[in-house]
Amino acid sequence: MDPMTFSIIRHRLFRIVDEAVITLKHVSGSAITNEGHDLMVSLYGADGSLLMGGVGFLHHLTSAAEACKAVIRKFGDRIGEGDVYLLNDPYTAALHTSDIYLVAPIHYDGKLVAWSACFVHVYDIGAMNPGGFSPQSIDIFTEGFSSPGIKIVDKGEMVQDVVDTILNMVRSPEMVMLDLRSMIACNNVARERMQSLIAKYGPETVNEAGAELIRQSEELLRARLLELPDGSWQSRQYLDVQGETATVRLTMTKKGDRLIFDFTGSSPQSRHSINCTYWAALGGLFAPLFPLLCYDITWNEGVIRLIEMIAPEGSVVNCTRPAPVSVATVGAIQSVNNAACATIGKMLAASDKYREQATAVWHANHFAIFKFGRNQKGGQSIGILTETFAGAGGASAFADGVDIGGEVPNPISRMANVETVEASFPIRYLFRKRMADSGGPGRWRGGTGGELAIVPHKAPDGGLHYVISGKGDRHPMSDGLAGGLPGGPNAYLWAKSGEAAAAGDDGRLPGGAQAVSWGVFPLMGEDALYVRWNGGGGYGDPLDRDPENVAKDVVGALVSADAARDIYGVVLSEQGVVDTAATDALRGSMKAERMAGEAA
Amino acid sequence: MKEVRSWSATLVSMPGKSGRVIACRACSAELCGTDASWKEHAVLRESPLREAAGATYRSAGDEVLLRRFYCGSCGAALDSEIALPGEPFLLDRLAE
Repeated sequence: MDPMTFSIIRHRLFRIVDEAVITLKHVSGSAITNEGHDLMVSLYGADGSLLMGGVGFLHHLTSAAEACKAVIRKFGDRIGEGDVYLLNDPYTAALHTSDIYLVAPIHYDGKLVAWSACFVHVYDIGAMNPGGFSPQSIDIFTEGFSSPGIKIVDKGEMVQDVVDTILNMVRSPEMVMLDLRSMIACNNVARERMQSLIAKYGPETVNEAGAELIRQSEELLRARLLELPDGSWQSRQYLDVQGETATVRLTMTKKGDRLIFDFTGSSPQSRHSINCTYWAALGGLFAPLFPLLCYDITWNEGVIRLIEMIAPEGSVVNCTRPAPVSVATVGAIQSVNNAACATIGKMLAASDKYREQATAVWHANHFAIFKFGRNQKGGQSIGILTETFAGAGGASAFADGVDIGGEVPNPISRMANVETVEASFPIRYLFRKRMADSGGPGRWRGGTGGELAIVPHKAPDGGLHYVISGKGDRHPMSDGLAGGLPGGPNAYLWAKSGEAAAAGDDGRLPGGAQAVSWGVFPLMGEDALYVRWNGGGGYGDPLDRDPENVAKDVVGALVSADAARDIYGVVLSEQGVVDTAATDALRGSMKAERMAGEAA
Repeated sequence: MKEVRSWSATLVSMPGKSGRVIACRACSAELCGTDASWKEHAVLRESPLREAAGATYRSAGDEVLLRRFYCGSCGAALDSEIALPGEPFLLDRLAE
């Protein structure tokens, strides 16, 4: 087709998604949506296939496509103009019950021509634990309301009895209603703009442009894959919950123009809610694949055609009903993200042409901590600590990772201002800052993660409680690359005021500290909750890092003097100046010690 | 067949005495043939992660191991991986 018209339509599709995202953020009242950007909007073809992937959490792009297809299968000819359908069943398409999809058909001249789909993590879904992540759940039946597809808007009119039924099953129904309205508004904007686009260029032209866009994406990715070396690369991720460790194992094989992700050997599904379903695992591997391999390619069905996934049924990455999955997005799905990021990074690093595109694993360990209780205004509040979205960049072949620099699966993730959180919850931050030694050492250092501590403040009930779905602090998850080391692991501490501090406890916190990671805990009185989140993986040999960069990191409190000496081999004066001769000598002796070792 | 080609960011493959071999990118020292697991021919330093320097590694589990693979000829770091005891090495290989 005419390249000018094609280009205009392509850009209009991008802008439609952008405007829909803005609408979603403006209408939503949840910090997790409008501060953390735990959201997604995309456009789909008439058959539900991905047409234009949007931003937000990218592991939803393929799952929402499956949601559209599930609604098509279920409702068929009953799908009408102006309808909106809700789907949040993980065993049908969703990632977990609290990430609700609203999918809406787009008609033109009475004919179904496309779909828009979006999600937000709703304020609550009625699971055992407030906020949607439900570490105490033992099966899907205790993880809240779950639908494989239900109509909530019929030809433009709210199906009030259905909506009322949903709201009757959740905490803070007024906030959940606002979440639903934000998604309805988002889909309305997408529908109206698509109809406007079609009215201007005609349905045949827009349809042809969409088909060409998908064809282009397939051909561009095919060409890229053919440029990359054939081979196989492995990675593994450990998830620790209450002393039980599950392992996600991945072998990624690239042959010609095909890429196969094989999770054979991963652990059996867990009794804990860290599992994920098939569609969630598929979304999990595409989340890093889109930005790392398709950074200049439109994210659509054309990309998906070249990728294959093998996920053994009954495993932690393809669990069977009724296994619990409410923690999936920070559990097995994120481990799939990380494992795919690691193998893609290795493949890129093996290519002379693409080595500079390679990255160590970024922020690999989300912590889902939901505060809940009566706030300083007398109302009930439920909300996530959005610092989990702050992230940390992985190092690359030419640069350090960005400190607190986001994450690969969500290009727009971020954290809320301290003041925003303190205005909504009866808490006060003692501190929030970058964390020393959290970035993985390497010639290029992984971006640092951070640390924070909060205490109750003007709480009518003396404090709050929180649900924590940490995967423990036993394992680092942000793998290094090319000899770089992993980012430091997470840590969660309950500092108890009045209890004697032990040797080594953090003097900034009140009293003795107890590790917490899974379940519901109080934050009452003068106690504190301390959270430390991981940094990104490092790239290259730490002994090759420019000593001046190490010195700057020590001065900036991003690397400790111990790590500077023992990992980077850099000797600093008391004033923090590099002692070049001593550094050369130390690095020489460290290399000699390496060479004196025996082969594995 | 290209004489020297990338195997990874730190390794290359190149012609050896009896077929193609994997070698250190930094010093060209041979490790093994391309059909072998190169990590078994590199210097391995395996230690609890929590013993590595730095404030954050200290909270890792006692059983979590940091494996570092070095070139026995020049001491360059070739790769690293996190493992529990008994885990096989992660195997990365190119089709030659």
